Amino acid sequence: MSIMVVLVLVVSAVGVYILLREEEPQALMMATTTSTQDSGLLEYILPDFEEKNNAKVEVIAVGSGQALELGKRGDVDVLLVHSPASEKQFVADGYGESRTLVMYNQFVIVGPEADPAGTRQAHNATDAFARIKDNGTAGTTKFVSRADNSGTHSKELTFWSYLGFNKTQVQAFDESWYKQAGQGMGAVLDMCEQMDAYTLSDDATYYSRVADNLIPHLNMTSGGGSDLFNQYSVIPVNATMWPHINHTLALDFLSWITSNETQDLIASYVKYGHQLFFPNTPGYVPHTTSLATIEAMLRLASVHDEELMNLEDMARCWSIHG
Amino acid sequence: MADLFSYDVLQVTLLSLYVSGCATMLGSSIGIPLGALVGLKEFGGKGAVKTITYTMYGFPPVISGLVIYYLFSRSGPFGSLGLLFTPTAMIFAETLLVIPLTAGVTITAVTEIDKSIKDTIRAVGATPRQCVLTVMREAWVGLVMAAMIGFGRAIAEVGAAYMVGGNIFGETRVLTTAIMMETRMGHFGYALGLGVVLIMVAGAVFMFLRYLQEKELL
Amino acid sequence: MTVAVELRNVDKRYGDVAAVRNVSFVAETGHVFGVLGPSGAGKSTLLRMIDLLESPDRGEVLLRSRNVSADARDAHLIRERIGMVLQKPVVLNRSVANNLAYSMSIRGWDEKEIAKRVAQELKRLGLEGRARKNARTLSGGEMQRLSFSRATVYSPDLLLLDEFAANLDPRNVVLLEDMVRSYLAEDSNRAVVLVTHNIFQAKRLCHRIALMWDGEIIEVADRRKFFENPDDERTAAFVRGDIAF
Repeated sequence: MSIMVVLVLVVSAVGVYILLREEEPQALMMATTTSTQDSGLLEYILPDFEEKNNAKVEVIAVGSGQALELGKRGDVDVLLVHSPASEKQFVADGYGESRTLVMYNQFVIVGPEADPAGTRQAHNATDAFARIKDNGTAGTTKFVSRADNSGTHSKELTFWSYLGFNKTQVQAFDESWYKQAGQGMGAVLDMCEQMDAYTLSDDATYYSRVADNLIPHLNMTSGGGSDLFNQYSVIPVNATMWPHINHTLALDFLSWITSNETQDLIASYVKYGHQLFFPNTPGYVPHTTSLATIEAMLRLASVHDEELMNLEDMARCWSIHG
Repeated sequence: MADLFSYDVLQVTLLSLYVSGCATMLGSSIGIPLGALVGLKEFGGKGAVKTITYTMYGFPPVISGLVIYYLFSRSGPFGSLGLLFTPTAMIFAETLLVIPLTAGVTITAVTEIDKSIKDTIRAVGATPRQCVLTVMREAWVGLVMAAMIGFGRAIAEVGAAYMVGGNIFGETRVLTTAIMMETRMGHFGYALGLGVVLIMVAGAVFMFLRYLQEKELL
Repeated sequence: MTVAVELRNVDKRYGDVAAVRNVSFVAETGHVFGVLGPSGAGKSTLLRMIDLLESPDRGEVLLRSRNVSADARDAHLIRERIGMVLQKPVVLNRSVANNLAYSMSIRGWDEKEIAKRVAQELKRLGLEGRARKNARTLSGGEMQRLSFSRATVYSPDLLLLDEFAANLDPRNVVLLEDMVRSYLAEDSNRAVVLVTHNIFQAKRLCHRIALMWDGEIIEVADRRKFFENPDDERTAAFVRGDIAF
């Protein structure tokens, strides 16, 4: 019996230690998506914020839908997500105080090396999707969808909508070629590897899978077009609705992530030999000499759903880098 | 593989032990006495209660996570306690899973104690309360087993732990949620390594308990 | 000579089976009252009703002329005055000494008194050397004698024995029967009800014997009469050994 007492004491001691150790002066609860966390960007840039503000950012990485839900319920202080349509609704409904563009990364269309649908010859992403569908219904290829209301899934649905299919119709696509996975990006890429199928992926997850040599039979068949940009925004949760929120710190976070310095920092994040994120907060003027940044920004000729940069900023940018 | 011997993994492992240990103790201290009472007392609906208990073995853990989430979310009844995304919430979620398991194993353990022992205890003049306590003592090996099974359940829990904990680095990241994240990122080898760590740690706990049993300290 | 136990017109059914049918008898202090009969005749059920583990469907159980019920709040207090030994040795998973102490410690008896009595019993059983050992390590005969001691160590007035020496070797049977005699000799206020299917044991131990058959009492008589000159034909046949159990 005395052993039980000892065990209880030990466990309690460890517990007290753990709980006490975590008594930080300030904590900012941030909801973001799993793909954002998995890209490694946050580990790269957040320490800067934490130092400057003597705070700790507690990152909760879940699916887009769940992140917005956490915001609605006041369980987090700020959101960093990439689901423009849902975000706009979120702010319109009053759950979010404001929505500020932060950066974008890119989607890519990934498929079998042999590219049976001929997406490499497509004019743009929408055309690529049309080809995939034609081949799918003909039985010569397959497509795996995230089917989980994530940002990537929303983007996929956008392309189908340009081809004239609403969500219900998409979900009714024939199962023989259109697979609704309901899983994360990594898992979906693995499925494509196994099934020789196409999918829409974010670049970071794709490069990561390639680096780990997990998808040797897949290739990026389409990418780089502005129609494949994935816009991130930061949204502080409505502090009037949830008084307990660390509103000041959330606003500090907003001003930090949109500051020129941090935007440069984001641009400097390189993984798998690529710059993954392209800062584009309004008013940002790149100080870095990253040609890729400038090129990417200049590729915003026809943007379907988002203004990535206004003309003034574009001009300013052009003038700095000659 | 050397990454497995890092301070991060140590921290995550200790938190796993803390959360699961607390959940086991809390869950067992509720589940075992409950199981003993259900197993030993006659009452209307006893069969139904037993069936429900055993059915709860298959209770989806992620639902336990959802329940705790709703209770402790800011929008929820206990939101003002600010317990969401803390180890405490994870302990509650895992406790919900440990209770039916320990209760069920205890029911079986006390039922199996020979009727002649139960009769003799009564015959000797034990009060109903003393009868229950004495039978529990006779079934002690089974009760320890109940707690050990409960611990196994708790330390392997991932869905509920992720949902109410948030897998926050340095706060609520435990071995199982870390494995889930690493797998998601495609680091299969590392995830497997963490899995091995988890099994070895759980094994060490069980070996320690067995040792105590052998030395008759447990 | 007082009445220790009396049963009046007791019935007990289990489902379709009438285990006990209209049973009446009187057991007196200072004596061993035997209930003899084949297994399954309902004898164990009688003992369980006397020990207030179960209630009769009909009829009364009187202990020292007091009507008692198994459902009574103070049933366990009444059981404190009764000791029971079953056919199977019942030992708790603890030391020999703690087994003996159990019946007294659950009642909060004085530690010193408990230790004294435990020491006495250990001596009587010849198990002093193994006092600290787990009781499950004893042999079958030793365990049964331990069970007997545990049942009598707190000085109950009434001792109920349910085939207590069945399946034991002759030596242990003798030891146990001697323990019964010692028990009675210590206090004239005590009584024993012995249930058995062993005719010879009944002859050795019992002062008065009832023959039970199929739930009914066929005949009750003093030992001498029972064996030499019974009223009932079946008793005579039974005693002759014509009817095998």
